[in-house]
Amino acid sequence: MKNYIHKIILLAALISGCKKYEQFPVDKVTGNYVFDPLDSAGVNAQSYLYGIYAIVKSGHSRVGGDYLDAASDDAVSSQTGSSIPVTLLTTNAVSSFNFPGSENYWEGTNLSQAPSSSGVPDAFWAGVRNANIFINGIGVVPVKGGLSNGTTTAQVWRSEARFLRAYFYFELVRRYGGVPLLGDKVYNIEDNLEIPRSTFADCITYIVNECDAIKDSLISAPASDGDNYRATKGAALALKAKTLLLAASPLFNGGNIESGNALTGYTDYDVNRWTLAAQAAKDVMNLGVYSLLPSFTHIFLDQNNSERIFIRPGNNSTGIETRNGPVGFQAGGTGNTSPTQELVNAFPMQNGLPITNPASGYLAADPYSLLNDVKRDPRFNATIFYNGATWLSSTVDTYEGGKSKPNSSQQQTESGYYMRKFMGDFEAATTYSNHSSDWIVMRYAEILLGYAEARNEAESAPQPDVYEQLYAIRARAGIAAGDDGNYGLTPNMTQAEMRAVIQNEWRIEFAFEEHRYFDIRRWKIAGTVMNQPRTGIFIVKNGASNTYSTVNILTTVFKDNQYLYPIPYNEVAKNPAMKQNPGW
Amino acid sequence: MRYIFCLICLFAFTQQKIFAQDAKKSGINGTVVNEFSEPLASVKVMVKDSKKEIFTDANGEFHLDTPPGTMLVFLWKDYYTRELKATAEMTVQLTDAFLKSPNQVDMLYERVDRSKVLGAVSTIYTKQLTTTPASLYVYAIPGQLSGVYTKQNSGFTSFNVSEISSSAIIGQTLVNASSNNNRSTDNSEISLSVRGQTPVTVIDGVQREISSIDPESIESISMLKDGLSTLLLGNNSSRPVMLVTTRRGEMGRPHITFTAQTGMQQSLGLPKPLPAYQYAYLMNETLMNDGKPALYSAEDFAAYKNHTDPYGHPDINWFKTLLKDYTPISNYKLNVNGGTNVARYSVSLSYFDQEGIFKTSPDVSYSTNNSLKRYVINSDIGVQVNQNLNVDLQLFGRVQNTREPGNDYNGLLNALFSTPNNAYPIYNRNGTFGGNNIGGNGGPYSNNLLSRAQYSGYTQNNTNDILANLDLNYNLNSVLKGLTFKIKGNLAYQSITALDRSLQNPSYGYIDSAYVIYGTTTSQSNAFRTVFTSRQSYAQGSLNYNRSFEKSNVDAQLMYDRKSVVANYDLASTTTNAGGRVGYDYNKKYFVNATLIGSGNNRYPDGKRWGLFYGAGLGWEMGSEDFIKENLPWISGWKWRATYARTGNANIDLNASLYYAYSQTYNSNNNGKNYQVGTGYTTVYYQYEGSLANPYITWEKANKFDVGTDISFFQNHLQLTADYYHDVYSDILGYRGNSIALLGTGYPLENIGKNQYHGIELSLTYNNHLGNFNYFVTTNGNLAYSKIIYNDELATPYAWNKRTGLPVSGTYYGYTSLGLYQNAEDAASSAHIAGYTPQPGDIKYKDLNGDGVIDAFDQSTIGGTKPLAFFGVTLGGNYKGFNFSFVIQGVGNRQISALNNAVDHFGMDYNTTNGQVYENATGRWTPETAGEATLSRLAVSATNNNTMFSTFYLKNGNYVRLKNAEIGYSLPYSLLKRIRISGLKIFVDGENLFTIAGFKGMDPEVQPYSYPIQRVVSTGVSIKL
Repeated sequence: MKNYIHKIILLAALISGCKKYEQFPVDKVTGNYVFDPLDSAGVNAQSYLYGIYAIVKSGHSRVGGDYLDAASDDAVSSQTGSSIPVTLLTTNAVSSFNFPGSENYWEGTNLSQAPSSSGVPDAFWAGVRNANIFINGIGVVPVKGGLSNGTTTAQVWRSEARFLRAYFYFELVRRYGGVPLLGDKVYNIEDNLEIPRSTFADCITYIVNECDAIKDSLISAPASDGDNYRATKGAALALKAKTLLLAASPLFNGGNIESGNALTGYTDYDVNRWTLAAQAAKDVMNLGVYSLLPSFTHIFLDQNNSERIFIRPGNNSTGIETRNGPVGFQAGGTGNTSPTQELVNAFPMQNGLPITNPASGYLAADPYSLLNDVKRDPRFNATIFYNGATWLSSTVDTYEGGKSKPNSSQQQTESGYYMRKFMGDFEAATTYSNHSSDWIVMRYAEILLGYAEARNEAESAPQPDVYEQLYAIRARAGIAAGDDGNYGLTPNMTQAEMRAVIQNEWRIEFAFEEHRYFDIRRWKIAGTVMNQPRTGIFIVKNGASNTYSTVNILTTVFKDNQYLYPIPYNEVAKNPAMKQNPGW
Repeated sequence: MRYIFCLICLFAFTQQKIFAQDAKKSGINGTVVNEFSEPLASVKVMVKDSKKEIFTDANGEFHLDTPPGTMLVFLWKDYYTRELKATAEMTVQLTDAFLKSPNQVDMLYERVDRSKVLGAVSTIYTKQLTTTPASLYVYAIPGQLSGVYTKQNSGFTSFNVSEISSSAIIGQTLVNASSNNNRSTDNSEISLSVRGQTPVTVIDGVQREISSIDPESIESISMLKDGLSTLLLGNNSSRPVMLVTTRRGEMGRPHITFTAQTGMQQSLGLPKPLPAYQYAYLMNETLMNDGKPALYSAEDFAAYKNHTDPYGHPDINWFKTLLKDYTPISNYKLNVNGGTNVARYSVSLSYFDQEGIFKTSPDVSYSTNNSLKRYVINSDIGVQVNQNLNVDLQLFGRVQNTREPGNDYNGLLNALFSTPNNAYPIYNRNGTFGGNNIGGNGGPYSNNLLSRAQYSGYTQNNTNDILANLDLNYNLNSVLKGLTFKIKGNLAYQSITALDRSLQNPSYGYIDSAYVIYGTTTSQSNAFRTVFTSRQSYAQGSLNYNRSFEKSNVDAQLMYDRKSVVANYDLASTTTNAGGRVGYDYNKKYFVNATLIGSGNNRYPDGKRWGLFYGAGLGWEMGSEDFIKENLPWISGWKWRATYARTGNANIDLNASLYYAYSQTYNSNNNGKNYQVGTGYTTVYYQYEGSLANPYITWEKANKFDVGTDISFFQNHLQLTADYYHDVYSDILGYRGNSIALLGTGYPLENIGKNQYHGIELSLTYNNHLGNFNYFVTTNGNLAYSKIIYNDELATPYAWNKRTGLPVSGTYYGYTSLGLYQNAEDAASSAHIAGYTPQPGDIKYKDLNGDGVIDAFDQSTIGGTKPLAFFGVTLGGNYKGFNFSFVIQGVGNRQISALNNAVDHFGMDYNTTNGQVYENATGRWTPETAGEATLSRLAVSATNNNTMFSTFYLKNGNYVRLKNAEIGYSLPYSLLKRIRISGLKIFVDGENLFTIAGFKGMDPEVQPYSYPIQRVVSTGVSIKL
């Protein structure tokens, strides 16, 4: 018996003596591993920075499979099944608690991850948080190298995080107006988050100051191939220009939807804001590193081209074609996006004259100038698939019963058009092949056009520098200069006439690039353009000729409260300091 | 199997059996034996209609000075009473009763006198388990074990076939999320709930989630429902314990039982698909309602209806094509049990074979059908080494192979439920598999169903378990009288692997007079994957003291134990308990009991790992008081008991996001967190912040109170047990309502919630006999209330949006339906969801807040607020060789959602896929049938409005089910005795034989798209030697 007891005691001693268990899983990455004070390569810190870049959205099929512009007057979704986010947006079927998740980047889309929690990793607030974690943490990492001006690599990275944070704020501000400015603090579970919104003016000042503060501690454009996704000095200046253009726009500058409410815009009008916007654009132009790419379609296909300022990297794929390509081709395509007749009509002829101008040479019986010697603006062919357009060594047939509009049970165009933009040069191909599908967040043309817009508003009548930018853009687009060298523009327009021309130029140059949706808001014209029915074309083929008639395809609705997004209902309920936007 | 049977027969004939051959006395000399021909001592033998009675001696013998021909009555507890005409030399065999109530019951880590139990415990014994022909013993629990609510989720076991890929796999699919003590369970079919909680399974004193033990080798299953009874589990004590005790060796010559059983299964609750022409008609109606051109012409209808064009216009009933009507199930069990004074042994072997519902192809040489084949061996050897030391070694092994067609039978079932009759022909004219590219190439109809079920190979799960248990019992009487020392050690290993031999065949569609290939073609794979491994160890040491001093009885225990679980990549999860228990009673009349235990878990933050848990109980055997004995002599016993316990639930292992999440960690390189940069599109992986750390995390706590009474009437013929419980759980893990998104990440699980469960459990048992006819009925009825006391709910503007104060689970939230719009005026003027204009035939909703818009503020509690009521009735009897039993299970105050395509919602969505439609779809609204419509109109554009969850889809979930029945016949002992067989029984038993449900459209338990619930009828033979 004693023997047993001895053995048991011995065994117990052995068990309690061996204390060298792994107490915390060594595979778990902790903070001092990410921001490693000994890592001169900064591998993990850089990898963390990649994660902040990843929160920048690619606009391809972003909103429930659609382009955001399918929620503007440029297009409708071909999807008809259940709740299509863009359709909910355009029909005013949204409220502060059922705003479509894919456009609700306050709370984030991946709400299923944690049923009752919120604020998940793709929200812009997640972007702000991650940037702050990086900004606070990177200081200890002794990364080698730096810029020629003496900025260390760690400082460059920190500035990139600050750029991204400013960009996330910009995305929030243009949707919601003034939002809470959180500074550099990283909040945790014990922190009080009942933070009020900052004014619109403060938010703009914050973003602009951030851009100014970091512009000289970023890499310069053109970035090397491997750095093509990184924020450059040009990107910081462009973001500043874009922000100031937003701030100077009617919705916030003089057209505040609730006068006196500093959260929803400036409480006064100040023409000087346009001047600031123009100057900021000019600063980008003065860098001298960007230029318009001669080929319009290749802006989206050629990586690292001279026009790109900031991108969200995509991949090599045929995803855009598979989702948006016209139906009826063996290569596939579900035709998700149906551009409207309104967008089609916005494209002038190649001589630069609008189709409403009798001198333009537009023929209603041949609206796409298939036979006509006078062609449409080449951007039309690069943006829209119409009946008879060449594609995959065949034609897109969107007449009733044609192969691209078979009226069977499968998804097809609602409007008689499909989207062509962003796709590869497959006109003469037989099948799709992989191509670059980066999403361009900012490109040089918008700096030029923004400059033109701001200059036009800043002066009482359009100055020559306004015309110059339009000439440059139109020339690149392939519009003929004409004998007078005016690219179809009328000389000596009034400010209002020029405004209409610039707004139309934004529309056709940047269709589907997430401009139109926001532009009709910042110009405060959405109430007019969105309260008209969306139309499409109905083509009946009679032998060799076609008859065209327009049909209503969707009744869109726009109320004044839609100029700004609602703060998500729950966020207002949870946070007594959070003030809701007017009308929600 | 045949060999085993031969072996048994051989064994039987070589038995050397010695019957007592004493010198004959006059009168009646008899022996009473049990089912194994072992003598039974202390059996009461009465001469009928006289007061004369004697008891059998240790050899089971008795002698009566009455003439042969007298009627004798043989009575013994837990055996059926027999009446026999006496003969001079007689051997009487008594049969075990279906219901038992032995004097000792198994509690956690000990076996105690029934009188000492103060908690709420319900128990079932071997005979109640063996009548159920099923793969798991939990199938026998519904209706039989008082206080246990069951719901079946699937008719077949689940498959785990993916490779372990993550270093923190806990909380993911393999972990039984509702039972934190063990990492993998074999019970994916029936969910159990006791007092609102999922029980923890303890098998022979060790926590282990095994549900496939052969019922024949289980002695009892007890449910410990109150807090005091489970308290020794320390920080795991909040959940009830399902205590499984396997059979140990008994003294005597070898007892051999062999049972062979085979039966047929039949699927219940499958919906009836519509033929293609009706489908086409409804499809056109849908398109018309959406303002689209019709898809099918009159010629199409004719072709579908007359089957004139089987390739162009197929009409395939996929259910008939793919599924069998009946599938076999069989089970063979062998138990050997015996021992001497020194050593006792028990060995049980079983083989179980269940076939699935899928047809197989004669062209394929191997089976692609679902199947479950299982071998289990359970052996136990106990040795009394010397006067003081007892050693018991138990070994359990399980080898299980499950097989499924292709690589995912659930996906196959899903496709089967959603593929229309006209989707594609089984085979094309050229002999290839048919397909359809609706929804795109790679869409839902691009993988031919027949090919998927019969020609796509198979995937097999191999599950192997081994478990060893060592018990040492040392009697320390020499040190202190009544003192014993126990050591228990357990090691268990489990491995689940998957063998993937699946493939995918191309299917072809006929387009423009050519066959076009659809879907992806996957060549035959031959992959082997490790799916799950776990090692578990458990060690326990305890010092026990049990002694009586005159009328006072004391028992006490000091114990220490440590449980460690290592699953896959994870660090060991270690639970350590140290504590003790003391009980005292005076004259078995007044009882008091107290337990105190300190318990720690290494997954909590340093310094916050240990907690203290405690409880106490009181009991009063009022039936032993003189005022009862004298005034109410028909009351044979009346006990009052009450317990209180403060318990814990260390559920940190439940959720992968909690794995060492008290420290902030960062993740990288997995879960698709990568993108491509640079002109060459180099993939970069990025670090990102993991779930937000919660350094304050702790275990959940509960205050559990139970008061009960046990009353026996009329010499224990009628027994009543009633319990009332009141359990309050606090610090329940949940997400805070005030989770402001400005944080920029999700809030972690925090100890927030507080829930209350209370209810009543009643059980009533009556057993008696009329001559040789023994009969019994036992019923249990339960009423379970629950309430959310606190869950940090976000303030809601309207009282009806609130969830606090409502039942914890089973509550349905949704809209209130006002029926279907019958006219355009009503549709135009009523409140509706924003952005949709309803039309006649759409569902009309009640605008609770009267703001003219139907939105989330109009959702309220629409069902499931009443306490869940459930009951079971078991009745049966025995007449000479015949026995029968019936188990009826019923649930009340229950509602189910019928919002699924196969039952209530029309599955058609032409946008991406055309779902299948079922007979119920003919009840859709049309202007002509407006009055009697049972479903909304067909329109994809109305889907938003018509598929919101509302009272329209809330159905009565009450049901009563004849869960189990057995009829058997045992051959007379007098006959069998000659061929040296103790017992031979033939029987027929069945499962899910008959159901009355409140809602007829589907099975009340197993939802459509799941593997259907099975009706089983099986016959068998059982031989005892």
